[in-house]
Amino acid sequence: MPASFQFLEDVALADLAFDAEGDSVQEVFEAASNAVMEAMADPKTVGATWERRMEHVESDLAALLFEWLSDFVYWKDAAGVVFSRASISLIRESGQWTLAGTLIGEPVNQATQVLRNDVKGVTKHLYRLHQDNNGRWRVRVVLDV
Amino acid sequence: MKLNTAMKVNRITDEVWEIPVTEKSGMLVPARIYGTESILRAMDTGVFEQVTNVACLPGIRRYALCMPDGHWGYGFPIGGVAAFDLRSGIISPGGVGYDVNCGMRLIRTDLTLAEVQPRLEQLMTELFRRVPAGVGASGFVSMDRPSFDRVMIKGARWCIEQGYGWHRDLERMEQGGCLPGADPSKVSDHAVGRGMNQLGTLGSGNHYLEVQVVSNDRIFDRDTAAAFGINGQDQIVVMVHCGSRGFGHQVASDYLKVFEKAMRRYGITVKDQQLACAPFLSEEGQDYFGAMNCAANAAFANRQVITHQIREAFAAVFGRSGEELGMELVYDVAHNIAKVERYPEGELVVHRKGATRAFGPGSQDLPACYRSVGQPVICGGSMETGSYLLVGTQRATDDTFGSTMHGSGRTMSRTQAKKSIRGEQLQQQMKQRGILVKAVSMSGLAEEAGFAYKNISEVVESVQRAGITKKVAELRPIGNIKG
Repeated sequence: MPASFQFLEDVALADLAFDAEGDSVQEVFEAASNAVMEAMADPKTVGATWERRMEHVESDLAALLFEWLSDFVYWKDAAGVVFSRASISLIRESGQWTLAGTLIGEPVNQATQVLRNDVKGVTKHLYRLHQDNNGRWRVRVVLDV
Repeated sequence: MKLNTAMKVNRITDEVWEIPVTEKSGMLVPARIYGTESILRAMDTGVFEQVTNVACLPGIRRYALCMPDGHWGYGFPIGGVAAFDLRSGIISPGGVGYDVNCGMRLIRTDLTLAEVQPRLEQLMTELFRRVPAGVGASGFVSMDRPSFDRVMIKGARWCIEQGYGWHRDLERMEQGGCLPGADPSKVSDHAVGRGMNQLGTLGSGNHYLEVQVVSNDRIFDRDTAAAFGINGQDQIVVMVHCGSRGFGHQVASDYLKVFEKAMRRYGITVKDQQLACAPFLSEEGQDYFGAMNCAANAAFANRQVITHQIREAFAAVFGRSGEELGMELVYDVAHNIAKVERYPEGELVVHRKGATRAFGPGSQDLPACYRSVGQPVICGGSMETGSYLLVGTQRATDDTFGSTMHGSGRTMSRTQAKKSIRGEQLQQQMKQRGILVKAVSMSGLAEEAGFAYKNISEVVESVQRAGITKKVAELRPIGNIKG
């Protein structure tokens, strides 16, 4: 089954909730990244003139994803950009996960981009990353908008 | 009565409902919810769960309260009010909200609908150009770290010193637009990075700038309205709803992490991780309070810079200065804040999250011009249905730690609202009804459709009947700017 995400209708009335899933940790991280990018702007309308690389090390996968998704929010505000794509490399060594990620996008341009929500933060409400009985990785995320 | 809870809810009056301490293990005080029976019936399960969770927090006094516009929030419900003993109680970012000092500001004018209507398109275009809104928008004020430190400490006063407003504006803001105790050394670089470019920006979500009209037949208390500068002769006013943007959010997120660890040290357990807290007088509690006051001051400054831009836009369109147009501030009031206030129990740390301070006549905390009438309370409705100007009462001071409602409260999720209507369609419908909307995001506009909110008039009637605020005027939208 391909990795996917969907925004939820009946969760977090004033904010924006989504479920993301994939067959691997890598896939669920990518699906959640796509959801956050889509929440901010239509990635198809965003160029690739801005890039930032970052690295996070965590023993807890859920904490690692939380940090990574929070990077989108930080750079959106700090650099005034929205995103067209993100790449992730995940390595597990000695009980620690290392995420090397790259965010790619361009400065906000109201004339050329389809802009959506000014996401203010990733929240811990209902936040849960887990592998279900069929081995599928799933996460629920509520974004504060 | 069918409610979205299995808990026992006792009727105190037709507008006040109480959940006794016996309904949840660990409740230290009863929970009280304000609203008519129909409002109570429509409240989501989250309100009942969350207000009773708040009632379990250490040092809480009298009641955990929820206002009639209440709905589920992170930790506290939106509409939540709770007061904690200064010495034995806690402070919690979940009780303030992520958008620290999200608040409302109302500016009056001498202009009438007849004068503005022919130039409304031009005015809204000018406002849209001068007040950045939406995803990733930056303000026009260039800022370095030392300047931003001064914003954090001085709040709106910094703006006045830079020429963004009038000295007398400060008198008409909660706490003069500057909370004491702000400590920039307690704010992370990450938060500063997010906030430094955002001064003078609206944001998105439910934040907006609205041009409104006050008709003669929608004034309910003529004397108080006059004291607030509202004459009601189809008078034009401008309302602003926004807060501390990404900066405040980062402050809250940073300290939630700090408090999760601190709770273990202080032996505090909470029913919901988003109620993470620390004793108010602990090192962590004081650090958060210092950082939160920085974010609150940045929010006052944000609304002040926006006010400056609004005055400039009106001056450009009508060829007269803001002063000549009578663009005085009516008031600026926070609805996401924690403050130390004095009550019969002593000094308390009052948390208001999606709730407005509503001090009655005679309060020494009010400016001289409002001391005899009470504090203006600005309540924003949906962009389709209008808003209200209310006034605080002694009853609020006595019953609700001087607090009341803040808006209408959502009843439908953003995703559901977007499926129900397209932004362009809504914009067209509103134009036909005489409301001109400029929006950065059409999907964001659809999310804010009027049908996604409670009927604000019913919410306002319920606080009036409960006696915790009185209606002064209804404000009808004619132009709206959204992120």
